[in-house]
Order: sequence, then structure tokens, then C-alpha cells
Amino acid sequence: MDYKKQILSVILLSLFIGIIFNISRNNGIPLIAHPLEIVDEKDGVLNITTEPTIRMIDIGLAQKLHKDSTLFVDARAREYLAEGFIPGAIANDNIDSLVVMISALVGYDKMFVIYCSDDDCGSSEDLAYELQSFGFNYILVFKGGWKSWSDAGLKVMYHE
Amino acid sequence: MNKIHPILVLLIRILLGFIFIYASYDKILDPGKFARDISNYHIVPFGMENTIAIILPWLELFIGIGIVIGIFLDGNVILSGFLLLLFNFLIFQAMIRGFNIECGCGLKEGELVGWRKIIENFMFLGAAYIVYISQNRIFEIYPRNLIKE
Repeated sequence: MDYKKQILSVILLSLFIGIIFNISRNNGIPLIAHPLEIVDEKDGVLNITTEPTIRMIDIGLAQKLHKDSTLFVDARAREYLAEGFIPGAIANDNIDSLVVMISALVGYDKMFVIYCSDDDCGSSEDLAYELQSFGFNYILVFKGGWKSWSDAGLKVMYHE
Repeated sequence: MNKIHPILVLLIRILLGFIFIYASYDKILDPGKFARDISNYHIVPFGMENTIAIILPWLELFIGIGIVIGIFLDGNVILSGFLLLLFNFLIFQAMIRGFNIECGCGLKEGELVGWRKIIENFMFLGAAYIVYISQNRIFEIYPRNLIKE
């Protein structure tokens, strides 16, 4: 068997096993990804839910929720917090500690907002899914995150 | 190239193979996380990151196993080299576009894209090249040095 056939065989085997394994497992994912739903107030984002939900919000709604004292969670790594953070936001690199903090502050069914650096960072979405696996039902991901918040000239805080 | 001792080639194979096997492990366990890591590169047409996250870890696993135990060694080594070059391209484009994202490489949790990762991949690529050009291979189950015959 020449190397082209070998490569083809390995790729086909991976394709086959990958798809079969994904179908048969509990935490399989759809073959094609669906984007997070972007919601606003009209979609009833302020309602409490008991269904596991992760949705995306923009700067306008983030600002409103912040004004309404919704909990904000900063998903950026510790070193980026020196740039500043959204007032009142909590952060912790240790997921277990973060879970304790959030559950103590808002419980498991009330919504809270996660943000990271900007449109391109993925850590807020990663953290949202991770926290969802800990039982938090209603998580909003703030699209644009720290960059859109600070660019909009909104109030920020710094660690002393 | 016969100058490299076959034992050394075998050791390089084991190292390279286990790197691929290890890199596949977390991705197979959590394809959702891997799909999000892929999505963060903003280069895959939307939706396809899931397809890649389902298949690529298994490809890495089979490449790693093939390299270690010597099945389809030439094909697996060529594939490993291609993947390493592809990974470096993806990391580099993310760097020049200013994305400060997790690599999603599977070797170290939370590792960000950067030159260190690119250099590391080039070292693995060098290892793959040494295996590919070596003539005196031992412990190669099937087939045996077909390209060079």
C-alpha cells in the first residue's frame, strides 16, 4: 500500500470512528455548530429560567443589566484585570471558587453575565459552558466584552 | 538516510506518537470545548468547527498509534507533518490578527497562541521529518518502507 492509500485509510477511519463515537456518546455535539442566540429585552431575557440556557447580549443590554445590579463575571485571565474591569464584576481563575462565589451571590437559576476581552476572545463562552455543567441555568455572554464596554466610555474600576 | 541509528529513530517515533496521542485525549473527551477553541480562530466557516472537533482528535489518535506501533508509518508521518504545518499556519494567522486565544492544542490546558507554540510545532515537524527520511527502521509492523523501495 503506497503512502497515499495509507493517508486516505487513516482519514477515513478517523471520519468513521469520530462520527460513530459522537453519535453514541452522551455529550456528543451536532455535526454543524449553531451560533449562540443573540437576545434583547423583547425576547424576555429578564425572565428567570430553569432550563439550561446560554444566550448572547450586546453592549446596550449589558449596560441595562449592569444598571439593574445583575452579576457580572470577568472571564479574563488574572493579568488582564490590571487593565480594569466592569464595576462589581467578580473573577476567579479557580473554577470551584468561582462556582461557590456565584451560587452564593445569585444561586443557580438567576441570570448573570460573563464577559472577556473583546469580540474575538472565547473565554467567556468557554466559561459559560463550564459553569453550565456545574448547574447554572441562565447565563448571558456579553458579546464585545471589556473592549466594547471601555470603548463606550462606561464606568470601569481598577484594582488598587 | 542511514546515518541515524534505528534505536534513535524508534525513540523519536515513540515521542512523536505519544505527543499526538496525548494531544487527542482531552479533545476526544470534550469535543464541545475543542469546537469552541477552533471557533475562536475565526477561520473555519461557521458550523464546521463541530465537524472538525469530532474528527480531528481521532485522526491525531490514529496517527499517534500508527507512528508508535509502526502501522502505515509513512502515511502517518506525512499526515503528522501536514497537521503540524496547518496548526502553525492557524496559530500564526491568529497572532497577526491580534487574537489572544487559547491554542486548543491539547498538550497544556489554557496555553495561548504564540511563538513558543510555533517553535514547539516546528520541533515536532523536525522529528516527523527524521522518521520519514530514515531508512533503517525497526519495529515497523505494516508495511515496511514502501516509499523508498
